[in-house]
Amino acid sequence: MARLPPLLDRTPVLATLLILPAAVLVGGLLAFPLTLGVLLGFKDATIGEPGSFIGLDNYRYLITDPVLRITALNTALYTLVTLVFKLALGLALALVLNQRFTGYRFWRSVLLLPYVVPTVLSAFAWWWIFDPQFSFISWALVKLGLLDHNLDFLGNPWLARGSLMVANIWRGIPFFTVGYLAGLQAIPNELHEAARIDGARDWQIFWQITWVLLLPLTTILTIFSAIFTFTDFQLVWTITRGGPANATHLFVTLAYQRAIAGGAMGEGAAIAGFTLPFLAVLAWAALDALRRQP
Amino acid sequence: MQFLGRKICVPAGSLREFRSAMMRPARFNGGRMRKIRRRTVLGWGLGLAAGGSLAQAGKIEPVFKPEKDATLRLLRWSGFVKSDEELWNANTKKFTEATSVPVTVEYITWEDVRPKAALAANLGTGPDIIMGWYDDPHIYPQKLVDVSDVAEGLGKQLGGWYDVARTYGYSKRMKHWIAVPVGGTVECLTYRTGWMKEAGFDQFPKDPSGLLNLAKALKAKGHPVGFALGHAVGDGNNWTHWLLWTFGGKAVEKDNKTIAIAQKPSLDAIEYAKELYAQMVPGVGSWLDPNNNRAFLAGEVSVTNNGISIYYAAKKDFPRIAEDINHAAFPVGPVGRPTELANFTQAFIFNHCRFPNAAKEYIRFMLSAEQAGPWVEAMNGYVTPALKKYQELPVWTKDPKATPFRDGIARMLHNGYAGEPGQQAAAALAEFIVLDMFADATVNGMSAKDAAARAENRLRRIYRG
Amino acid sequence: MKRALTLWLPLGAFALFLLFPFYWMVLTSIKPNEELVSVTANPFWVVRPTLDHIKYLLFSTSYPRWFWNTMGVASAATALSVSVSFLAAFALARLRFRGAEGVSLGIYLAYLIPPAILFIPLAEVMLKLGWFDHLWALVPVYSTFLVPFCTWLLVGYLKSIPQELEEAAMVDGASRLRILFQIILPLSAPGLISAFIFSFTLSWNEYLYALVFMSAPGNKTVPVGLATELVRGDIYQWGPLMAGALLGSLPVAVLYFFFVEHYVAGMSGALKG
Repeated sequence: MARLPPLLDRTPVLATLLILPAAVLVGGLLAFPLTLGVLLGFKDATIGEPGSFIGLDNYRYLITDPVLRITALNTALYTLVTLVFKLALGLALALVLNQRFTGYRFWRSVLLLPYVVPTVLSAFAWWWIFDPQFSFISWALVKLGLLDHNLDFLGNPWLARGSLMVANIWRGIPFFTVGYLAGLQAIPNELHEAARIDGARDWQIFWQITWVLLLPLTTILTIFSAIFTFTDFQLVWTITRGGPANATHLFVTLAYQRAIAGGAMGEGAAIAGFTLPFLAVLAWAALDALRRQP
Repeated sequence: MQFLGRKICVPAGSLREFRSAMMRPARFNGGRMRKIRRRTVLGWGLGLAAGGSLAQAGKIEPVFKPEKDATLRLLRWSGFVKSDEELWNANTKKFTEATSVPVTVEYITWEDVRPKAALAANLGTGPDIIMGWYDDPHIYPQKLVDVSDVAEGLGKQLGGWYDVARTYGYSKRMKHWIAVPVGGTVECLTYRTGWMKEAGFDQFPKDPSGLLNLAKALKAKGHPVGFALGHAVGDGNNWTHWLLWTFGGKAVEKDNKTIAIAQKPSLDAIEYAKELYAQMVPGVGSWLDPNNNRAFLAGEVSVTNNGISIYYAAKKDFPRIAEDINHAAFPVGPVGRPTELANFTQAFIFNHCRFPNAAKEYIRFMLSAEQAGPWVEAMNGYVTPALKKYQELPVWTKDPKATPFRDGIARMLHNGYAGEPGQQAAAALAEFIVLDMFADATVNGMSAKDAAARAENRLRRIYRG
Repeated sequence: MKRALTLWLPLGAFALFLLFPFYWMVLTSIKPNEELVSVTANPFWVVRPTLDHIKYLLFSTSYPRWFWNTMGVASAATALSVSVSFLAAFALARLRFRGAEGVSLGIYLAYLIPPAILFIPLAEVMLKLGWFDHLWALVPVYSTFLVPFCTWLLVGYLKSIPQELEEAAMVDGASRLRILFQIILPLSAPGLISAFIFSFTLSWNEYLYALVFMSAPGNKTVPVGLATELVRGDIYQWGPLMAGALLGSLPVAVLYFFFVEHYVAGMSGALKG
């Protein structure tokens, strides 16, 4: 390659050039519509009517809306509970797959499958698995004599929440596993060996070396997964549509139901607006973590 | 009877007469003449088989003259049976051959039509014509082409519109028709005759208390009933609205302002629902639209509400169950008249359509007897047309089990009754307000009062100002 | 014995949980309809397997078309996002410039609004650009939810590459761009591969944008095609649906199968420096 003019070696110029493509894409197709969306939250717009500004009226109503309260609780629970499981199980699976054994390549790619199948379709599968009449889980439990009736996975509010979480965990484990596998490969073996020579036990090695070294990675994976989970839509919309009686709505499904299905665009945008502060905190935390990375 | 402006006699069921009457030169839209070569086809069924040759049945003089070089895009729900799309496409081809207007038809799942229609309305671009659901066109009436001439012409020609079709198609706000009603996927109570007899009933009950008794007897025999209480857009909304209305309840008064959901009739309906729920198969709280089909075909439930699709699927894969299936209209409660809700569909043209005449002509063409007759036949009764003349089609009597679906549009009220169709009614339906009121009281064990109060609270917001 | 406890037992448990739905999907795609809706039949087995569903999917629907559409869009969106992110990541990780903080904050913040709400305002933008119903338009649209994560991932990865290499090259008089493409790029292979896997999967699975922004039947992607043409009212064609889900996933799984090796190789290469 020929020597490039020194202009390109000036940091501000080069940085601008390198960042420009990403900034154009994200700015034009995301930030701009996002601004439009946020503004919408302060209007009484409906489908087909641009509406006028009504200040905080949408928000003021929403904080008194019992459905929104359930939704907030659901979203928080859904995010927290599934995150804990996804992280723990994803790491465990990565530890298992990080070993050398016959067929490890096969298992590594096959166990990523839940992440590969389009969510709409895997949601169909889970929907059937949790069917009140056709669930094979119920079928097996009844056949084994552990139950005398089918479980009402999606009809009972708490069971329905749990069932959706299981489906989400199922789908989300591979995300953590992939990340952790990369992280584990990056830890030099010598560290473990040195520790072992010093007489450390396996769990000590794990907690004091592996876990500590993986911490920055954990932060990033957690934050991103939290964002995906917090704004999840497809699973819930396919399996329960927020039912029974609004017991399983998340912010996004509720916003979609009211804005798109119900036509109350302003209110829907305001519901989405409720997620912004939370997500902003996450993003800030992520940035902070990133900055502190070695 | 009066038919196409001349006095003729059409004995019900006499296809030949009906068909040939249809083929006589017709007056349409203020005296314009339309000539169709008279054909002696033995019936609608044969007309379907001869779809290809019908296409060459002579040039049809259009009523609305399509603009030069017009092209059209139609977005509609994908057919519930495959033959629906086949016939629709064949009819569209006929249209293109007759008018040289190419039409692109896009089919998507029925529940996905609404976001797409919303987008088209909001952006002022997209499909020219949409076949959407319920009162969608009343959400953005000012963005739609006035189709009064099409609707009134078709109405005059084909026995008139059912009242509810007029409510859905005509905008009081705009003072003209904003959509041409197509019809509805009518729901009936689908039941197993054998089990009903076993439970000691010779006939399907005609009132709610009879239905409750039947449900109890059936449950005692190990064959519970099942009605969807999850967020099932079709099945769940339809039966709960029937229940609310048949007890005399309603979401909103005629003024489209005063919320009436928390009154005595609603509370009675909720108490009834609680009793009925106790007789249902476990798990209805999570049922979406397909669940009852599967449960019924598997023999898990003896009675449920559904379109004709269960019967249709049974005929295909489970002939023994199909033989045992029958259908009945929803029972009539204290209010004393039928109060059903069916998924109602209509075609509307957006202002952004550059060829409104071509679009009007397309709708008129597709809903005229020569096209819509075979089309409705091909759907095996899944869609009941909104024009009265079509109740004479053989599909409704050829198999007596389809007959209860014939008059479904006559039996229905519009969503948002007793208020007006529009943004508020659409929102109330889309948010499952009525359905969730019943689900809260049954599945979640809330008291009737609390459940109604919760619904009232949300309706107040929707119908504010 | 210990190996059984640390390897095979947990592996078995994970396989059971993660793969059971797939077992069920395979069964569904070869089960005749009578067996599908039967509460008495053993749901774990199939008595009379049939290929009808798969034949129907391949020959009576436009599945092959959807498949290639998805493949094209996903590959292009991935290529675009990973390259754009790589450039931005290099700037953020290696160049100290004013406003770096702001830029990264901007990229991440923009990521937050969920597509379910974004699609109406975004549609307006697409309309102004004349991008409606063009399959390629999905490429830049998908990059909006891919670029932030890829940038993030690559910033992290680039920071783990020792700076000494570049400094040595700088001393030798190499330009920044040359360093970027000749030194950093090869070293970043493992990071790029993870970004690639992430992006490809997400584009492959995307549903809402593809549903809303594409209209022509020839522009459907696999998830949209399956969900819109195999669901008819309240009748779900379960057999072809699940067959489609599987057939659509297996090629990606095969792709992963080969990437896993590269991933490891690239990683050890990077660590050796």
